[in-house]
Amino acid sequence: MESIQYIGEHLLPGQIGHFAIILGFVAGLLAATAYFFATQRAALPEAASWRRLGRGAFLVHSAGVLGVIGMLFFVMTKQYYEYQYVWAHVSDDLLFKYIFAAFWEGQEGSFLLWMFWHVVLGLLLIGSARQWESPVMAVLALVQVFINAMLLGVYFGDIKIGSNPTLLLRDALDAPLFANADYVNLIKGNGLNPLLQNWWMTIHPPTLFLGFASTTVPFAFAIAGLWTRQHTQWLQPAMPWALMSGAILGTGIVMGGAWAYEALSFGGYWAWDPVENMSLVPWLILIGGIHTNLIARNTGHSIRSTYVYYLLTFILILYSTFLTRSGVLGETSVHAFTEMGLEWQLVAFIAAFFILSAVLLTLRYREIPTPAKEEATASKEFWMFIGTLVLLFSALLITASTSLPVYNKIVQFFQPGFEGRVITEQVAHYNKNQIWIGIFIGLLSGITQYLRFREMNWQTQRRKFLLHAGGALVVASVLTLLVTLWIQAKAWQYALLLFAGIFAVVTNVDYIISFLRGNLKAGGSALSHIGFGLMIVGVMASGLNKRYISSNPFVMEGIIEDAEADAKERNIMLFKGTSMTMSGYEVTYTHDTLVDFMRTYTVNYKRYNQQGAVTEEFNLYPNVLYEKTFSKIAATNPSTRHYWDRDIFTHIRSLAGVEMNLELRQQREDSLNYQPYELRPGENIQFLDTVKIRNRDTFVLKQFDLRALGLNLQPTHPDYQPEPGDLPISAIVQVQREGDDSTYTVEPMLALRGRLVYSYPAQINEISTRVRLSDDIFNRAFVFDEQLDYKEYPLKLGESVRIGDLSIQLNQFTPRPQHPDYQPQEGDIAIGSVLNISDSAGKTWLAKPIYLIRNNQGLGVKDVVKELGLHIGFAKFDPTTEIAQFFIARAAPPKDFAIPISVATDSLRSDYIVLEAIEFPGINFVWVGMTLMMIGLTVSMAHRIGQKQNAA
Amino acid sequence: MKKIYIVAGLMIVVAIAMLMNAAKDLSTYGSFSEAAHTGEKVKIAGQLSKDKEMYYNPEQDPNYFSFYVKDAKGEERKVVLLASKPQDFELSEQIVVTGRMKGEEFVASDLLMKCPSKYKDEEIYIKSEKKG
Repeated sequence: MESIQYIGEHLLPGQIGHFAIILGFVAGLLAATAYFFATQRAALPEAASWRRLGRGAFLVHSAGVLGVIGMLFFVMTKQYYEYQYVWAHVSDDLLFKYIFAAFWEGQEGSFLLWMFWHVVLGLLLIGSARQWESPVMAVLALVQVFINAMLLGVYFGDIKIGSNPTLLLRDALDAPLFANADYVNLIKGNGLNPLLQNWWMTIHPPTLFLGFASTTVPFAFAIAGLWTRQHTQWLQPAMPWALMSGAILGTGIVMGGAWAYEALSFGGYWAWDPVENMSLVPWLILIGGIHTNLIARNTGHSIRSTYVYYLLTFILILYSTFLTRSGVLGETSVHAFTEMGLEWQLVAFIAAFFILSAVLLTLRYREIPTPAKEEATASKEFWMFIGTLVLLFSALLITASTSLPVYNKIVQFFQPGFEGRVITEQVAHYNKNQIWIGIFIGLLSGITQYLRFREMNWQTQRRKFLLHAGGALVVASVLTLLVTLWIQAKAWQYALLLFAGIFAVVTNVDYIISFLRGNLKAGGSALSHIGFGLMIVGVMASGLNKRYISSNPFVMEGIIEDAEADAKERNIMLFKGTSMTMSGYEVTYTHDTLVDFMRTYTVNYKRYNQQGAVTEEFNLYPNVLYEKTFSKIAATNPSTRHYWDRDIFTHIRSLAGVEMNLELRQQREDSLNYQPYELRPGENIQFLDTVKIRNRDTFVLKQFDLRALGLNLQPTHPDYQPEPGDLPISAIVQVQREGDDSTYTVEPMLALRGRLVYSYPAQINEISTRVRLSDDIFNRAFVFDEQLDYKEYPLKLGESVRIGDLSIQLNQFTPRPQHPDYQPQEGDIAIGSVLNISDSAGKTWLAKPIYLIRNNQGLGVKDVVKELGLHIGFAKFDPTTEIAQFFIARAAPPKDFAIPISVATDSLRSDYIVLEAIEFPGINFVWVGMTLMMIGLTVSMAHRIGQKQNAA
Repeated sequence: MKKIYIVAGLMIVVAIAMLMNAAKDLSTYGSFSEAAHTGEKVKIAGQLSKDKEMYYNPEQDPNYFSFYVKDAKGEERKVVLLASKPQDFELSEQIVVTGRMKGEEFVASDLLMKCPSKYKDEEIYIKSEKKG
């Protein structure tokens, strides 16, 4: 292989990229080391130069990271398939707007995205962290070194360190293709998974990875606090970063839910999928940390907890990375990355930072200050801390359940015969436990707002507290009752949760009005808690009360055997143009359009009032995306109608097999019971055929009336793409079935291209009948040159020749000839001729054959006088002698002939969709609630930064 | 800090109770014979029998899809999913079905498929035409 000189490869960007990876790694290591010494020797004069070195090294590291990213984008946009990463994620037909999605579809790209955000955050920290710069940046740089190592792609013996995104395909794979020096010209990319080809894939990963990256900052501050023994000083600068991280990570998680709901066919926004869980868990812990951070800054309590929470947040981010990237989740998750053989490196990553955190915390634990006096029962800090314990508790439960595959793997390692444990009902399992978390958080976030830190002036505050809490209790109870008129709570636990959510909303609204006097700038926490309450209400409404409206009990009557089956009857079949009634809507699949590979279906919904007038009407446009070969469906996308109080979600579950699979379509066509008939134009034929009644093994004999109206030599068909030289023909046929009033006129079509015949049968869905034109029509309707006996006639201008009773005279040459069969091309030299033809009776005709020279070759375009069956070709022209050679043949013109057609009456209709439609009441409460939570966090962050600047 | 410890202790008790309770949600992958024997809802991981018939005819019933699965013990049964046929079903190898036996058939309420990954079969697509 080494001896092959490959052609067409672009090796330079790969070499630059690989250099940038190594540069980034080395510079990152140097930055971490320099910042380490800058921290350790902070008291010495050399600290400043260590710090300068750290800064410089981090800048070089940043250049390295940006260099790899730039290079990878370059080779991806240039479609250099010789690179394995490009080959795996890009294809010729990938739209440019999805290039970002393709970039972070793979593990290496997403690691780069993560590093990119660390670089951005690191540069921000260098600019703003002041005395915290050295220890914080030492940690951040160390994290970067570990991630950068994931891209190294070096081997120590058999141990692989990292996966290099600049690897060449021929180095990654061993295939006979690489024996070909010109292999680059022969390969094409795999492209982006069609399910990921949407704009969510462009915005969701960057947001989530910024969320991931931002958790590093509070972590780094926590380590810095422990390391430098400044246990109270780090709390203040860490807070805005933690709030920002909470807002961004939260937004990333919400976006994931919105993506699942809007664009994927999950039929919901949260499925307790391991990948979702493991992004939620760090967020919960981080939110816990933000609360203890607040307590610590106000009272001096909970500093240890704040350490633990911030450290744990980052460790859990790493654990989440491990779970989604190691392949350990395997069959339990729908959207994990594919494995890349770096499991142990990921474990080492977690272990390194876990050990660092654990050791530092243990060493410093005793010296972390705690107030001697415990928290008072009526103090804000006490209940807030309980709240964070609830969050921690929730996070641990979710982590424990999600880690079941890890537990299985570990047990199997020691005990090979061990059968893995699985959760039978995943969603029910999580809901059952997390419902209590929701209840506690809802109640606590309400009550705690009314309390004050250190139980300040409790004796005088007590009355106010009881008044507001009592009032909120009453208002929330009444509201809960009112809400249950709209949505069902279904069980007392759910009713309690609903109450807790509403209580959180009522108390926090009251808090903003009565305590903050409408000062929203200080009300970030209240906004977030209102958001939480609204989200709970929304979850209760949309999750608990979601309703499959795509069922039609009337139609299903008698088919359903038991209640369990009934619950699963979620899909309805819609025939094109035939309305169906489901759950109060009249639904019609009106039409569909195919653009590129996407077929979009228009589904019309109508609702009537008692008088029969339309009260509501809208269209939904679910679609299916075909594979490039049209051989199967790659993805289906739902379409949703949004109202302020509910959504109607529509999704195509299935199509007719022949619509989804080209092969099946051919098989079906071959299996039909076609019967041949010969019809003269205008002639009527009747035949009897057995017709199967749908769903039953019963047959009836029905009479069919068949009539051919004639032929069409310029036919069109939606599937037929005309090409020059084609000979298309269609028959116009009328079909009527006994007992059906309508007469259906169809045009089955054939096209002769070269020696191949393409058949386009016509389907009459209403009577399950398919009509096909038989090949023999060509022999009957046309005369082909092979069958003709041409004779050669040299003629000069004005000369004539006699053939039978016809006299043919060459009358004229024309410089710019035109003929339906002649498409002029650049560089043609063409001579037209006009021949006058007359018979003994004095009747005359004209023929205009053409002779042309194209690319130094002589060609003739013949003309046919149909009435006479006269074929005249213009074969040669000699300019010196001015003699033109004509080939003339005469054949009896095609007389009255029968049109051969075949009819199958067992062609089931294929113009239907299997539709799933779900109504989600109150889903907007979920989105509004979640958004409000993130806005609250952002408002708090802005407030903190503002305070800090005022203080400075 | 005493109250905090009490509360924390209480939570640990609740946590243990919840986890004990959660253990009931866990099971090993079952088998058809076990499902037939107990009549309970079980989760079965098995191989899709590709040589046997997969029946889905939405014209007749869009909510009925049947196929055959061979469980870990090698027993093969007909499985009925009362829903539409999932995309790419034919491509799946390992299948996890949740449900219970009803007569001779296993009626599944939930189905998870594991398809061979796009990248696992590392075949290189050769262009049908040379790049122009």
